[in-house]
Amino acid sequence: MQGTLTHLIACHECDLLIERVANQPDQDVICPRCHARLYYTTLNSIERLLALSLAGLILFIPANLFPILSLRVFGQSQSEIILQSALSLYEGGLIVVALLILLFAVVVPLIQLIALFYISFTLHYRWEGRLLRQAMHSYQHLRGWGMLEIFLLGVLISIIKLKDIADLEIGLGLYSLAALIVVITLSSIFFNPHQIWHQIDLHRKQSRSHD
Amino acid sequence: MTNLKTTFRSARDNGYLLCSDCEKLHYLHQEGQHCDRCGAHLHSRIANSMSLSWACLIASMLLFLPANLLPIMTFKTFGQGEPNTIIGGVLHLLEQDMLMIGLVVLIASIVVPVLKMIALTILLCTVQFGLQTNLRQKTMMFRVVEWIGRWSMLDIFVIGILVALVQLGSIAHIEGNHGATAFAIVVLLTMFSAIAFDTRLIWDNGTSDLPADSTDHKDDS
Repeated sequence: MQGTLTHLIACHECDLLIERVANQPDQDVICPRCHARLYYTTLNSIERLLALSLAGLILFIPANLFPILSLRVFGQSQSEIILQSALSLYEGGLIVVALLILLFAVVVPLIQLIALFYISFTLHYRWEGRLLRQAMHSYQHLRGWGMLEIFLLGVLISIIKLKDIADLEIGLGLYSLAALIVVITLSSIFFNPHQIWHQIDLHRKQSRSHD
Repeated sequence: MTNLKTTFRSARDNGYLLCSDCEKLHYLHQEGQHCDRCGAHLHSRIANSMSLSWACLIASMLLFLPANLLPIMTFKTFGQGEPNTIIGGVLHLLEQDMLMIGLVVLIASIVVPVLKMIALTILLCTVQFGLQTNLRQKTMMFRVVEWIGRWSMLDIFVIGILVALVQLGSIAHIEGNHGATAFAIVVLLTMFSAIAFDTRLIWDNGTSDLPADSTDHKDDS
């Protein structure tokens, strides 16, 4: 019964029902009505995601442990890591803002990287992958909530605001953060939900036939 | 199947529904069940999409007032300094000839949230009251709004960084104020409003700008 549905597809944005067409790796299939991108092919998607998510997880450590900026005025100095933004606001009584910064700049990117690593690792090495569905759901639902690139722009604006009144020093954390943003952006480009769900389908059939 | 180039029909009208998470096609009578591939709850349209979207939008509009009227942070040097509002911060930057940065903050903190609220209001009104508009333009507008809205968090991050960095006791000291809480919730609510809005509702209501007429029969039954 499910087999009869494979030649059809509906647009996720306007619900237009169309017939599935074959596409070349460099061709996107576009909805004829609302122009949403329906499906496309990403070459070596899983391998690329595995590499990128691993790189991201590694970069996440210096980006969060080393100071982003250090400030020096009259011999006193103060340095800043991402987590400290949330902490200082929390101490200042702005609990909601602190929580949002913690979520958007630390927790969400970390969960997404872990989910991505789990998905690509499981699919690449054909592990059992009991949590594949959950990992996919968390990654997909958290898209757009990781805001490291906005945080980076915030750092740049802070530098410009403070450069006249204090000596600023850019720390290792800022470089790691910039690299982490590049890795996360690339991984969101290579994340092809349609294709990965299809691979999960195949993955499950294979593991079932092994039983 | 009839020629799909001349008749635009939605999946729901043809008795199908798309899983919102993994985009697998199911039959409409499976609504309420779980997707056999990803386990998500199957629904052909987001439940209560309009009411949820309206609620978040109206709440964000109300909170936009305190977000702009209350101070967002206080910068004290040698014990002196006054609380700043969002507009105050932008004006301060412009006074110091930091035109570009002032504009970036102005766009992220004022222009984008206001435009996003206006755009969502237009979308919700046209869908709610069935007004005839260009559907493709509206879809484009929604995509832009959805993508750009998160950049409004910029000012919140700037406050977070400044507060963490400038803690030099009596020499210089920055603290956050509750206008920032209101503003952060405004951004959050507009994002929720956009998520709750089901773009398919735009296309359900009007088919007027399509070359094909939707009354054209399909003999699939």
